[in-house]
Amino acid sequence: MSTAEFDDTEVAVQELESEFATETTHARTEMETRDISVWFGKRKVLEGVNIEFKKNTVTALIGPSGCGKSTFIRTLNRLHELIPSAALAGEVLYEGKDIYAPEVDPVHIRLKIGMVFQKPNPFPSMTIRGNVLSGLKLSGMKRSNHDDIVEQTLTHAGLWTEVKDRLNHAAGDLSGGQQQRLVIARALAVQPHVLLMDEPCSALDPGSTLKIEETIRELSKDITIIIVTHNMQQAVRVADNTAFFLATDGNPGHVVEQGPTTEIFGNPQDQRTLDYVNGRFG
Amino acid sequence: MSATTVFDSETLPRLEEQKAQTPWGRRTSRFRIAVILAVIIPAIIVAALFLLSTIPGAVIMVAIYFPLQVIAAVLAAIAVRGTKSAGDAVIIVSAIGATIFSGVVLVSLLWSIIVKGLQAMSVAFIFQNNEYISPSTPLGYGGIGHAILGTVLIVAISTLIAVPLGVMTALYITEVRGRAVPYVRFFVQAMSGVPSVVAGLFILTVLILTGVLNNSAFAAGLAYAILMLPTVARTAEEVLKLVPEDLRTGALALGSTRARVALRVVVPAAKTGIITAAILGIARVVGETAPLLLTALKNDKTVLNPFTEPISALPTYIFTNVAQPYPDAVLRAWGAALALMVIVAILFTVTRILSGKRPGK
Repeated sequence: MSTAEFDDTEVAVQELESEFATETTHARTEMETRDISVWFGKRKVLEGVNIEFKKNTVTALIGPSGCGKSTFIRTLNRLHELIPSAALAGEVLYEGKDIYAPEVDPVHIRLKIGMVFQKPNPFPSMTIRGNVLSGLKLSGMKRSNHDDIVEQTLTHAGLWTEVKDRLNHAAGDLSGGQQQRLVIARALAVQPHVLLMDEPCSALDPGSTLKIEETIRELSKDITIIIVTHNMQQAVRVADNTAFFLATDGNPGHVVEQGPTTEIFGNPQDQRTLDYVNGRFG
Repeated sequence: MSATTVFDSETLPRLEEQKAQTPWGRRTSRFRIAVILAVIIPAIIVAALFLLSTIPGAVIMVAIYFPLQVIAAVLAAIAVRGTKSAGDAVIIVSAIGATIFSGVVLVSLLWSIIVKGLQAMSVAFIFQNNEYISPSTPLGYGGIGHAILGTVLIVAISTLIAVPLGVMTALYITEVRGRAVPYVRFFVQAMSGVPSVVAGLFILTVLILTGVLNNSAFAAGLAYAILMLPTVARTAEEVLKLVPEDLRTGALALGSTRARVALRVVVPAAKTGIITAAILGIARVVGETAPLLLTALKNDKTVLNPFTEPISALPTYIFTNVAQPYPDAVLRAWGAALALMVIVAILFTVTRILSGKRPGK
């Protein structure tokens, strides 16, 4: 056996190993923020947020009202900049690249990083089916088999059995919980890699909440989910990781503690986290 | 601690005897008497004045009956509920009075148009034109077919121009949100103050006297469009503003471009309102006479080509006939007024039905 051959084999083994490594460390980073600070006009509302979001995990952002969670989540798909007085410092990395780099098209970012809002916002001029497919039309994305997409995404969102016989009804006829699951299906139809959810269950009854939580667990097999929630039990039920935001006495909000959900709720290092997760304030 | 109490409708007595009632509607006899007196006394006084005096009826109603009824209502209110409710009585009676007054004005206007207009109405009147007809020709010969066609043509031209422009202006204000928004809004507002005769004069001097256009339906349509644009733009702006911001961010979050957000989400969501804006624009111009006198002139023949020759429309037809010394010509004017009203009513109804359609079944 010549030296050259031996070298080749070793290189091949190394390659194999590294491939293996990426596969097993399923904790590849999908998104990451670096020192994100946010202003509205002169008022700084968020300061120095560094969070890593691993691929195919659920991360919950918790904290009392007004601590900047919703503001933060809107920086992750460039919806923040739609507010006229908005300003921002720091970087948001998606697949290693800053989404605020000058050459990046926000439309492209929003296509990859979908969002579900606090209040269900189905398009009232469209049918249920039309709403599910609206993302494809609005983004100009080409996907065939629209019937399959409608069935798949609605099944994913836990709504299929309830609406399969009335896909051509107006979306406004659905209940609040159904509308919220409809907009989740709508967000899924464009196949985002990341799904942002801004208090998706805050206006819903317990039954719908349960369904949406099941949906979140199911979806996290394929996509990365970041969810803002006021409901701490919900964070425990759905999230792999949790970040606790806090803003005190007019200071900008910041992350007090973050880590695996079990640690944040079971063994928090910071007294304020302990107090919050035990319901002593907020 | 005692145990909780559990209610079971089976064990509650006399539930089946209960009847649905409205207890808040029950009145005391004092209230009933006060109301009856407050209605009857002014009515008797007014009836007596009608029968025994020579004061004109309108004066009795407005100057005597209305104040009398307000006073009676106030006294009744004080008698039943005390002095605090006097203000309520004044406001309520005044509001009802004002509603009845405007209702009477509107109904009598409609009534006279319908009664006099119907005298001129006939199949010939609707379909024939006014060629070979002189003002003294008796009713039954000639008609307003050419003027109806003229009005439809001119309004259609102005709608095709002003509605897209107006909606685009509104979209600039609410969706593009560019730097010029305050100026655009100011300009649109200023434009809505342009007197209609000035719009006609503008088209006359700039486009007709310079030889660019003939006196024609198209020229008149342009003048109408000037008047229509601000109404459409401002109404459309108001309805686009009502579209929830959630829908816009929702669409953007799906990877939509701003143009698609505007055209596929915002405009469809505001569809009914935009149609209303168009209707209001049409209603604003359809009876305008001054611009037509300067741009479309008049023509007793039926004109189909909107570019070549003068054309009559209903307002100009009314204008020329109402000034004639012949009773039949004046009746023709009333007939044309009725036709104009019916056209507007048909237009409103059709658009309401169309815009009332919801997505899906």
